[in-house]
Amino acid sequence: MIEIKELTKTYGRVDAVRDVTFTAEPGRVTGLLGLNGSGKSTTLRILLGLTRATRGAALINGTPYRRLSRPLTHVGAVMEQGLSHPGQSGYAHLVSQSLLGGVGRDRVGALLEYVGLEDAATKRTGDYSLGMRQRLAVATALLGEPNVLVLDEPANGLDPPGMAWLRELLRAHADNGGTVLISSHLLAELEQVVDDVIIIGQGRILANGPLAELSGTSTLRVRGADHHLLAAVYEKAGASVVPENGSLIVSGLTPEEAGHLALDVQVAIYHLVAETRHLEDVFMRVAEGR
Amino acid sequence: MIAVIRSELYRGVTIRSSWLALLGFAFLAALMGWFDKNFWSLFAGLGAFGLATIVTAQHYQHRTAILLFLSRPHRWRVLAAQCVSSALAGVVLTALSGLAVLVDSDPGHYVSTVLVSPVMGVFGTLCVTVLRRPLWVFAGLFAWVVFVELLINRGEGGLPFTSFMLAAGGSTSGLLALLGWTAAVIPPAAWAISRDLTGD
Repeated sequence: MIEIKELTKTYGRVDAVRDVTFTAEPGRVTGLLGLNGSGKSTTLRILLGLTRATRGAALINGTPYRRLSRPLTHVGAVMEQGLSHPGQSGYAHLVSQSLLGGVGRDRVGALLEYVGLEDAATKRTGDYSLGMRQRLAVATALLGEPNVLVLDEPANGLDPPGMAWLRELLRAHADNGGTVLISSHLLAELEQVVDDVIIIGQGRILANGPLAELSGTSTLRVRGADHHLLAAVYEKAGASVVPENGSLIVSGLTPEEAGHLALDVQVAIYHLVAETRHLEDVFMRVAEGR
Repeated sequence: MIAVIRSELYRGVTIRSSWLALLGFAFLAALMGWFDKNFWSLFAGLGAFGLATIVTAQHYQHRTAILLFLSRPHRWRVLAAQCVSSALAGVVLTALSGLAVLVDSDPGHYVSTVLVSPVMGVFGTLCVTVLRRPLWVFAGLFAWVVFVELLINRGEGGLPFTSFMLAAGGSTSGLLALLGWTAAVIPPAAWAISRDLTGD
């Protein structure tokens, strides 16, 4: 579990983050969203002990990072753009990191295979593409079989299959009881994997909650043979109806209810779609609202 | 601490630029030793300093310091381990490059240089930890040696590199001065390694 409690980091007179509080629960993927300079990376750096907080606490399984014994066995982190020495091979990089973390080098070969780099294991990482470096960074994060994963923009440079692979990996980690905290500006990608969303702006938390809750209830777009009759029957059932571009936008009914009501009044339905608010819409709404 | 030393030494042998630097400095020092034992000492000391600077600076240059501190959050221990691995590399460089001096001329000079060169490795690691950029260290080293130690101080003792030369020749006061300079860099290096690692 990750707990961030009233975290503040001040550079001079500027608050990079201020009174940031949130929790990333085990078994869930938590997305940290924000524009560039919003305080995402500062929050993650404080969490990982790379930067000291001015005030507040950042805890991993109840302990500050710097007090964790053998931290790689608790937390796997992907920071920046696939960190490695460009003159070292992928295999040698992982062996160096395993020696450093005291986690044993027996997993190196299996991890290279897991991230799809077995054929590039002896190649210098300076010759890797950005996507390959990101895969190597994920392998590095998994070396100690950690329970908690913290990833800062891990999808950068990944091609669509790479993104799908990363989504599956994060989902599987959370489903196995692990905690995942991921920051990204690729909202459409993030939407496919996160359970909970934290939106940060100008160093403060703007919104925080389950994605389903923040997205709100979905609306229906309905097109049928008689819009007047449909609107009347839907409103009578307690829904609110707004005509838009030759369709009706219906709030407060499920698709099944809308279909049955239309059948009851013998109105043919040509089009009935549930429109859910996307993460991007949620983000824009929150960002504009502040 | 042992884990960091093992990892640093493994890095050293698996990164081509690191072992090429070791071989290059060793070859240069050995070549100089062919002509004069004092030249060998000078180049072995500069080699130990340069090698330590290159190996340590790579962590900041390529941002792998982040991985280092994620694995080992106790940064003073990391610094201590880096000093030990630099000292070991300095011993290897000096011992290998000075075989000609050992066999042909002066075993006592060989032994004293081998014993003192690790201090130069530690000094290099501490200096680059403060500055974090190898170019600044090498430019500063050049300016310092030429202008301060040779032109202003006229190669007399008391300053780091001339103290190293004196210590390599068996001078106890030279060794003490070198240790004093090295000790003086420890507090700023300990402060510098504890600084926040900010974004790239």
